[in-house]
Amino acid sequence: MNLREVKDILRCKSYSSDNLLEVEIDLCYAADMMSDVLKSCKIGSLLITGLVNPQVIQVSEIMDLKGIIFVSGKEPAIEIIKKAEEKNLPILTTERQMFDACGILYSHGLSGQDTQDKTKNG
Amino acid sequence: MDEEVLFSQTFNISGRDFANAGTVSVKIKRILKELGVRPEVVYRVSICCYEAEMNIIMYAMLAILDFTITNNEVIINIEDEGPGIADIERALQEGYSTATSEMREMGFGAGLGLPNIKKNSDEFKIESVIAKGTKLNFKIYLN
Repeated sequence: MNLREVKDILRCKSYSSDNLLEVEIDLCYAADMMSDVLKSCKIGSLLITGLVNPQVIQVSEIMDLKGIIFVSGKEPAIEIIKKAEEKNLPILTTERQMFDACGILYSHGLSGQDTQDKTKNG
Repeated sequence: MDEEVLFSQTFNISGRDFANAGTVSVKIKRILKELGVRPEVVYRVSICCYEAEMNIIMYAMLAILDFTITNNEVIINIEDEGPGIADIERALQEGYSTATSEMREMGFGAGLGLPNIKKNSDEFKIESVIAKGTKLNFKIYLN
């Protein structure tokens, strides 16, 4: 599934240029604590978070995250949008709350585990 | 194999400088990528540096971070001037934290930083003196 489909499913508002939404999403991770992201998030995941601050963008670069969805209708400040733009990192917001946003994406086949890898390895 | 230094750089990090938090780690990550280091090693070094950098910004006054890459390993030495860590053993346990609510609002201070550095490094050493500062050394092997 690409990020554009994620955007449609969660009725997101996008703050990024359209071409960035073509990125393919295989893995998701949800947390408000960046400590958790650094500890447990798989490299290259889509992050779903309720934390809206510039640290989220820095952590995204460290973890090569493919995008960020801010939940509960939280609006990112201009400085966050600008930082994300510089790094070509797509950011979206949804009115959905964290639990619902994750549940909806999970029901559409997304997961926090690398299921493809597992099947590959038998 | 004889150890040969490929690249080395020293960075200064200021405590409480939340606006620039993470920039040193991002620089180190870019250098490692440019040097063609394996992605897994790049991630482990970047994660360790980021955790250490956030600890400095949250708790210390200032710190010097020495970054060296040799043909065998990445070596990070950090020395800070700060409050020191009273109980290192507890600080290395997941979930133990002395973070303030301000730090938690930033998304940090879950008590995972030092354990995560230990987990991601191949050699890990920490020494601390109360009211003076903390020395942190870690190495990550290239192969």
